[in-house]
This record gives sequence, structure tokens and C-alpha cells, in this order.
Amino acid sequence: MTVFLLMAAGVMAGGLGALLGIGGGIVLVPLLALGFDIPLEQAVPASLMCVVANSCAAAASYVENKLSDLRLGLTLELATVMGAIVGGLVAAFVAEAMVAVVFGLFTLFVSLQMLLLRTPVQEPVSTTEYVPVNYPLGISGSFVAGGLSALLGVGGGPLKVPLMSYGMRVPFKVASATSNLMVGVTGAASVAAYAWRGHLNLGLVAPLVVGVLAGASVGSRFMPKVPTAVLKKLFAAVLLLVAGQMLWKGGEGLWPSLWK
Amino acid sequence: MNEVGPLMHGVHPSVRGAEAGPPARNAQAVALPVPEPFPEALPEALPEALDSLHDEPVTEPDARPHARRWAARASRGERWIARMLRTGAVMSGGMFVASLALELLPRDESVHVAIDLLRKGAASMLLVTPVARLAMAGTLLGLRGEWRYTAIAAGVLGLLALAVGAGFQA
Repeated sequence: MTVFLLMAAGVMAGGLGALLGIGGGIVLVPLLALGFDIPLEQAVPASLMCVVANSCAAAASYVENKLSDLRLGLTLELATVMGAIVGGLVAAFVAEAMVAVVFGLFTLFVSLQMLLLRTPVQEPVSTTEYVPVNYPLGISGSFVAGGLSALLGVGGGPLKVPLMSYGMRVPFKVASATSNLMVGVTGAASVAAYAWRGHLNLGLVAPLVVGVLAGASVGSRFMPKVPTAVLKKLFAAVLLLVAGQMLWKGGEGLWPSLWK
Repeated sequence: MNEVGPLMHGVHPSVRGAEAGPPARNAQAVALPVPEPFPEALPEALPEALDSLHDEPVTEPDARPHARRWAARASRGERWIARMLRTGAVMSGGMFVASLALELLPRDESVHVAIDLLRKGAASMLLVTPVARLAMAGTLLGLRGEWRYTAIAAGVLGLLALAVGAGFQA
């Protein structure tokens, strides 16, 4: 029974991750920790494995349909990996709780803006005829996303999709598909690091990955047909969830020091 | 005289009629065609002409086949990347499903070993797939002459190797 429930959780995370380009880990970690009582040190690597599975299954469809921008993906990927390495290096000197609060406030701002903005930002008409602008912003934002990924254990998707869509004027669906392509590489590197330390529980990963692959296949077929406005609202809702998680995580860390 | 219409030499037709005086000395240099009166039979002839346009293959200038060839090669490259990602995902998923199916069998040492092997193989395949995709994308873009992206892909792969080797969580 638990195996089927894990598969169902994987289907949900995979579908959502493929639709929005966030990998699905942000949904899966609280679900595994709260719903299945799985300790975080096992839930995080398992969810990262699901991010990789999601990226492979969904990106195959997006690359074939020319929805992923390979060149933009490669460029931002370099900045992300550099940011992740720097994040890993400075992790010992930075208060994780403070970073979590700042990131939580930022995602809260972005999600509220997406939900409440009355005059939406003009999107390029076509998903093939657009020119990404503002590369310095995109590259520096990806560097920050990589750093946050290493510091907080979150995927870069929730930051990179709005960055590409609003900062670089890339169509939302292309931003989502390109983010999906990118999260696989950084996720694989993170999982490898966990696996080498023996934190990867393959008994937990097996049903989750099977569910994620199914969910991502379905999600990637649906995504081109779903209206962009709907995807944006869904993304904003997931960002609210991320903001809640980050503020909780940060608050939990900061509260004892403030109390004293 | 060419096939298009009668020529009028010397000056522009807007300032000179056909009945005007002798041609100028440099008449050949500025020879201009005079448009013939619009044929009245055109409305009847037009549909046939349009049909013949559909029948004939459209030929394009010499530069276009080269561009088309590059576009086709680019499209083939993207299909290869998609195929590789899908193969990795399907094979890994298949091995995980097989391992789950084996769990239904009565527990035995050999079954346990098979499950363990299948899961390790599936996880390894899943982790290698996006990295192989990165290498393939860099190679394909390099073959198209976009060496900048090949260098970026090589840089990402190098940094990932460094990060994993050093134990960072990139």
C-alpha cells in the first residue's frame, strides 16, 4: 500500500514539476517528511533523485518540441554550477536561517506579484521567435540560484523561471521547459554527493521515480496545451508554498536567538 | 526589344511619349520597358496560372538549400538529445519497475541481490543521463560551429566533476 501511495506522490510531483519547470522536489520533501514520516536526510536525496527523473522525462519532450532553449540553458547552467560551488564554500560562514528568511520573502514577493498583478507583463507572441535580453541579470540571478540551492537545499527552478520569464523576456513556457532541462544536471551532481555519503535509500527512491516518470510524461504532454495564464497562477501558488517553507525554516532557526 | 514589352529609348516614359523625336545617343544605357496595357483576359487566365504555380516545384536561390541543410541538421541533433534523454528515463524506470516486481517474489538471497543490482543500475543510469545530455548538447553545438557553447558545456562538466569530486553539493 505504501508503495502505491509513494507512486501517487511521485505522479503528482512529476506532473507539477514538468508543468512548471521546478523539478518537483519542493513539493515532495514536505510530503515525504510530513505525510510518510521519512527523515529529512533521506527525503532530500530521494526528492533530488526525483528531480533528475523529472528533468529527463519532461526535457525529452520539450527538446523534441523545440520548447527548451539549449543555448540559454547551457549559459545559465554554468552560472548556476559556479554559484552552487561558491554557496558550498561559504555555507560555513553564512547563517542559513537568515538566507532562508530572505529567500522566503523574495519568493513571497514574486508570487504575490504574479497573483495580484492587474496588468500582466507582455509575453513574446511565439515560443520560437524571441530574443533573450538582459543576459547579465540572467547570469547573476542563476549564480544566486545556484548558491541558494547549495545553502538551502532547494532547486533553482523557483528562482530561474521568473528570472528568465520576467528578467530576460523569455516566454513563460520556454522558461519553464529550459529550467526543467537545467535542474537535471545540478540535481544529478547533488544526488551523487549524497549517494557517496550513503544517504540514498533506493528502496524509497524506486516507487517515487516510477511515479515521477509517469507524471512527468503526462505533464510534459499537457504543458504546451495549457494556457500560460493558468501556468503562471499555478506557479505563483507553488511559490507561495516555497515561501511558506522558507519562512518557517528561517523562523525556526532565528526564533531562539531572537527570544534570548 | 525584350520579351516584356516595347522599349522606349532616351528619356523616361513619364516625360516623353512614344511619338516624340529621335532617340538620344546613349539610348541603350537607359532603355526602359513600356508597360503594355493590362490584358483584359487576365481574370480568366489567373486561376489557371495559380494552379500551375501549385504544380511546379518552388525553386529557391543557392543559399537556401545550405540553410535548410543546417536547419535539418539542428533539428536532427535536438531529436538525438531527446531520444537519449527518453532512453535513459525509460530504461531506468523499467529497471526500477522490475525491482519492484521482484519484491513480490518470496525473499531469497538471489532475489535480494537482483533487486539491489537493478536499483543501483537504474539510479546510475538516471544520474548519468543529464550529464550525457550536457556533453551531447555541447558536442552538437560545436559541430554546428557554435564553439562558445561547447566551451560552456565543457566548463559545466569540469565544474561538476570538481564539485562532486570535492564533495560539494552542487
